[in-house]
Amino acid sequence: MRSGSLIPTLLATALLVIPAQADKIDDIIASGKLRCAVVLDFKPMGSRDAQNKPFGFDVDYCNDLAKALGVKAEIVETPFPERIPALMSGRVDLGVASTSDTLERARTVGMSIPYFAFEMVVATNGKAGISSFETLKGKTVGAPAGTYEAIALEKQVKAWGVGEFRPYQTQADVYLALSQGQIDATVSPATSVQATIQSGKFPGITLAGKAPFDIDYVSLFASREEYGLINFLNLFINQQVRTGRYAELYKKWVGGEAPNLLVPGVYR
Amino acid sequence: MFNYSFRWNQALAALPQMLDGARVTLGIALQSMAIGLVLAVVLTLCRRSGNWFAAAIATGWVEIARNTPGLFQIYMAHFGLGAFGIHLSPFTALLSGIAFNNAGYLAENFRGALTAIPETQTRAARSLGLSGGQTFQLIVLPQMLRIAFLPTTNQMVWAILMTSLGVTVGMNADLAGVTQELNARSFRTFEFFAIAAVIYYLITKAVTLAARLVAWRLFIY
Repeated sequence: MRSGSLIPTLLATALLVIPAQADKIDDIIASGKLRCAVVLDFKPMGSRDAQNKPFGFDVDYCNDLAKALGVKAEIVETPFPERIPALMSGRVDLGVASTSDTLERARTVGMSIPYFAFEMVVATNGKAGISSFETLKGKTVGAPAGTYEAIALEKQVKAWGVGEFRPYQTQADVYLALSQGQIDATVSPATSVQATIQSGKFPGITLAGKAPFDIDYVSLFASREEYGLINFLNLFINQQVRTGRYAELYKKWVGGEAPNLLVPGVYR
Repeated sequence: MFNYSFRWNQALAALPQMLDGARVTLGIALQSMAIGLVLAVVLTLCRRSGNWFAAAIATGWVEIARNTPGLFQIYMAHFGLGAFGIHLSPFTALLSGIAFNNAGYLAENFRGALTAIPETQTRAARSLGLSGGQTFQLIVLPQMLRIAFLPTTNQMVWAILMTSLGVTVGMNADLAGVTQELNARSFRTFEFFAIAAVIYYLITKAVTLAARLVAWRLFIY
């Protein structure tokens, strides 16, 4: 190394070291952009338009969050199973990715208060004679690997002791398999099934009533030790509801009345 | 930037489940190799048969199997055939996808092995009164399999690793499927994937070593 390059190198090293001691919010503001993990095959939460541009509830939500931080939003597409690797490897700052706030996951990542809630319904292809959740017994069912509904559905199939559960890597593959008749039914968020039926891309898919699973509350997630960021996210979600933006976004992407995010009888 | 603290105890607690998955993985690989070997011999015979139709089918098979990704072949076995109303279960789709791939590669191995067997042997056998079929069965085939043995173990390793593509068609019983599911449930991605990588490594290493031992015992000249 030439001796002349030592001082710039030291300076560069110092510059690299100092921001690392700041917290994540500082990092985000300093970088001027907020990188959100968003699932883009999960209508109406995330999807791509004809020009391949991301759109949907989660995309708008990330844009709002970026605006609140005074930075530009960058949507990073992450299929369901890749949300956490994306966060851990530093490809994204946080996730706006319809992530169910299970306790098992909360051991690994930090969860905000719920920002959305899903009600689960049964979707079928009209071929297997399925009319309700109970008639799923003994049938072949599927769901996107690792999602709330996949975990609940697999548990139910095991409890029944008959039938088969298949996890697919994406929501689109589940609807494709259902449309082709590879699986007889799936359990999905009502919003997703409605959007899929409306899209007409997967012919034959119909609704077959509600699934008796608990309401699936979903959270924003970030690194577990980033308390500052998680506090900010909680306040942001609170403000989204308070200002009516949550109801507005819900109306825009789903329609009807937005689900209540409060669990009665308990603090968060 | 890597911000993650490893917690091995939770991941190691799932080791029995992962080993069950490893057994399924090895089972699929072995079955796919058995099917692939038989098909490869058939493909080789077709290509040597002089029947242009059989040769064309065999050549097409080898071309597609060797020049398209294994992922594509497995995905097509599930969703591609599914579009025509032919429904293979994730297990069958994975097995047939890998067997298809194996057959293509092994047929090419066999073609290479055949060129290493002097044509004069066939002529010598025929001049001793053996029929064409007998010559292939008794003279050419044993030597071909012997020459192709070590390249074939390569394909076995490849088959083991290809089973991990089953997750794309809803396979959840093999090592990759089990790992993916454990990961999705707990978000302990790096521990589970590291353990899975070690298991894959050990399986393939054991297979290669076993093949070397077999070759050492079997092929003493």
